[in-house]
Amino acid sequence: MKTPVEVTVNKKKYKVEVDTRMILADMLREELRLTGTHIGCGTGNCGACTVVLNGETVKSCCIIAADANGQEITTIEGLSSSATELHPIQQAFVENQGLQCGYCTPGMVLSTLQLLKDNPNPTEDEIRHGISGNLCRCTGYQFIVQSIQDAAKRLSNGGQPGASQ
Amino acid sequence: MKYIGKGIPGKNNQILTAGKGTFVGDITLPGMCHLAVVRSPYAHARIKSIDTSAAEQVPGVITTITGEEIVRNTKPIPTHSSALGEKKFQFYALAIGKARYVGEPVAAVVAEDRFTAKRGAELINVIYEDLPPVVDAEKALEAGSALVVDEWGDNILSSRIEVHGDPDARIKAAAGTVRGDVRTQRYTGCSIEPRGYIASYDRYRAKLTLWASTQSPHSLRLFLSETLGLRESQIQVIEPHVGGAFGLKLPTFPEEPLICYLAIKLERPVRWIEERTENLLAGGHAREMRLAFEAGYEKDGRVTALKVRLLADVGAPSALCGWGMANVAAFLIPAVYKIPDVKVERITVVTNKCPWNAYRAYGKEASMLMLERMMDMVAERTGLDRAEVRLRNFIQPNEFPYKQVSGASLDSGNYQRVLASALEAADWSGFPALQASAKKRGELIGIGLAYELTPEGGCIPKSSLLSAYDGTRVQVSPKGEVTIMTGVTSPGCGNETGIAQIVADELGVSPDIITVVQGDTDTCPFGLGNSSSRSVIFGGSAAKLAAGELRDKMSRVAARMLEVSPEDLELDGGKIVVKGAPSRSVSFADVASTIYRDAFTLAACDEEPGLDTTRYFRHGNFDAMNKQPDPEGRLNFYSTWPNGATIAVVRVDIETGMVTVLRLLSVHDAGVLINPMLVNANLHGAFAQSLGGALFENLVYDEAGQLQTASFMDYTMPTAVDLPNFETKHEETPSPFNPLGAKGAGESGISGPMAAVAGAIDDALRQAGLSVHVMEMPLTPNRVWKYIVAAKNAQRGNPQ
Repeated sequence: MKTPVEVTVNKKKYKVEVDTRMILADMLREELRLTGTHIGCGTGNCGACTVVLNGETVKSCCIIAADANGQEITTIEGLSSSATELHPIQQAFVENQGLQCGYCTPGMVLSTLQLLKDNPNPTEDEIRHGISGNLCRCTGYQFIVQSIQDAAKRLSNGGQPGASQ
Repeated sequence: MKYIGKGIPGKNNQILTAGKGTFVGDITLPGMCHLAVVRSPYAHARIKSIDTSAAEQVPGVITTITGEEIVRNTKPIPTHSSALGEKKFQFYALAIGKARYVGEPVAAVVAEDRFTAKRGAELINVIYEDLPPVVDAEKALEAGSALVVDEWGDNILSSRIEVHGDPDARIKAAAGTVRGDVRTQRYTGCSIEPRGYIASYDRYRAKLTLWASTQSPHSLRLFLSETLGLRESQIQVIEPHVGGAFGLKLPTFPEEPLICYLAIKLERPVRWIEERTENLLAGGHAREMRLAFEAGYEKDGRVTALKVRLLADVGAPSALCGWGMANVAAFLIPAVYKIPDVKVERITVVTNKCPWNAYRAYGKEASMLMLERMMDMVAERTGLDRAEVRLRNFIQPNEFPYKQVSGASLDSGNYQRVLASALEAADWSGFPALQASAKKRGELIGIGLAYELTPEGGCIPKSSLLSAYDGTRVQVSPKGEVTIMTGVTSPGCGNETGIAQIVADELGVSPDIITVVQGDTDTCPFGLGNSSSRSVIFGGSAAKLAAGELRDKMSRVAARMLEVSPEDLELDGGKIVVKGAPSRSVSFADVASTIYRDAFTLAACDEEPGLDTTRYFRHGNFDAMNKQPDPEGRLNFYSTWPNGATIAVVRVDIETGMVTVLRLLSVHDAGVLINPMLVNANLHGAFAQSLGGALFENLVYDEAGQLQTASFMDYTMPTAVDLPNFETKHEETPSPFNPLGAKGAGESGISGPMAAVAGAIDDALRQAGLSVHVMEMPLTPNRVWKYIVAAKNAQRGNPQ
């Protein structure tokens, strides 16, 4: 059975008809072709499908697409306009090698966005807790933690690399 | 400007961080339909009948398929090598006659959408006759055990006894002996991107295209060609971005020929993206080994004899290459130590569990853990420092290349220097003071040390998957742009960046103007892809050779343009410059342009037109050592021998058994580092996977052969809060057998941490007066607590 869904994603309005069984992650990927939202487990454990729903990060594999009707969503595609004009968080990940295969990265970046919105100057321990809902199998998290420390500096410095860089 | 040795971030970082990578699940083709796989719910069952009629009546179901159709229309899936002496089996894309593990593909449905495909799969009615499962390797060896493969007559896939010297006599004569029973549990890599494929067939061109989350496109093409009866040129395998692999995406999985067969049959693109539970059930397991050892030592700490019985539970037979990990575990013994009299008995057993596939460290971790536990016990018995015992047993720096008793040919190393560097960095001798003050605070902390040997660049005779060579093509365009096409691939490990750095240095250009193309069988030279940390060693060396030829040709043309001798020129900063006279130069682009656009001018007319070279590189130490087995039947299986010392500090909660890793430090020798940032990145990832295996991860089967840990709810991997900040340092003893001096760094860091953590737990518990030697992984709170209780009971004279 199909149901109509109207959502605003990355400030753009979409009207789609989706299967009532479809999860939000699949709607973003398959219907809106926003494939930067990845699926790693389908059980809300890995965080690869993290998106921002009405200003808070959620795991989009655990939300039925139809329930997103009327809501506002930001996906990884909403953070940059081109490969050379990245969000300061993304730029920090790029330069600090805060990724390897890149599959968990969109979720990590969006969890970082939430973390730094709630706590612009997190300690290392707070960073580690802030991304503990996102699994990465490549990096051992260390360069991700460094990327987030760098991102915090960039954001407090108008998006530019911090003075201590 | 030189780029080798610089920590340059990965070339794909921007695109991946932007969420604009192209993983296989991101690809949609017109008319694409979806595959769902029906998997056996039984560990061991005879397939009596399969009724697909109900599924076929579901609107939107396009076709169903069972093993019977597969046998009629495809050939068996070949195994990767015929030279390792394992028992033979006919593998197909779907189970034939019997299902041998929970999750084995039994039938499949293709439908217009995923929901319909899954609904169809639910309606396929398979009648099974449940058979007694074989789930324990020791029981699998008992007379009267159920048989995984009836025709074999037993459950042994392969076995071998290697004896050097007379270890029995030597152990009898030794000053003392130590014994242990090391067990590594079944666990796996769990890349965050599961497996996935899209197959498409064009009947008019008779061409199959497969986009695959794989590591080895050319090997996969070869296997598919044999299975499907197509010519290789009829198949194009494309590896898009791959979201982690760690060995577990090496061919051949049943789903690979299955989806190709269906795409050809339907003449429509078919997509399959694995679900996580399918991945945990059928995506390849690893590690489950038991190594019972007995070693004899002298009072000075030298180990003189070692006997090991290695029992590996490799799960059901498969066309994957994972079972070879047991061979490697045996082959590595005694690694960095000079133990003259050694016996290794390896028994590789099949059971009704998920087949093994290759997983990072490929068996090396199990024998390293065993050897390091042995060294810790010898230190305890002799009263020597744990580092000192290792020093007294190491191969000496002046003994390389060193022929190990196993037949291994170790290229280079300086274990003494690496260990000394680690001890200093960790302040090893200062630790007892820290430990004493922690004890005063009521905290039990301990330190552990492990030495790992992680050979890379694997090479197996008659193999379509592993050999010590690869090919790279380098092109310079008329405008001076550089493109590298290589047979090695990068499922997220960064070798594209390292290879670009190597070529940048040869051609004197920036890596930024270099494009690296990988993972496409129609574009790239034949190569064996990514495994065994082979990509930089072989692909990078081949790139250096190819780029070197172009550099020489461009130098000759530039020399004529500048009216100097080619030997007087150097390539740097996008220019070809007269040495010592920087004002006299010609740009790299102008030389390229002259070669292409002025082929008949005086400067270029003696040269073959074009700037396009493919070279293959063969690793040096096999010419002498590995053409044929030596008189004892021994072969060398590896090219380079990276090694490292790991020191771990842990806190143990004696009430709960909870272990917290406070510090993890590694000094590593990967030879010449092409990109230290990416080497560290790989090491960090390995440390995390190692600590995951040491402390958390476990694939648990019950007695019926049902997997109890089939989701990330139950299969627990480390998160950021579970891991410390890692400390890494490097020592460089270059490999003399390749032009880079590089040794590979993709698997290092798996073996050391788990063994160092084990030693650190023992050390912490010693502070509480408990004598414990942890041998069984993973060291979950429950297991450590049991060790604590057993030690307390033993103290009280109560062996309960």
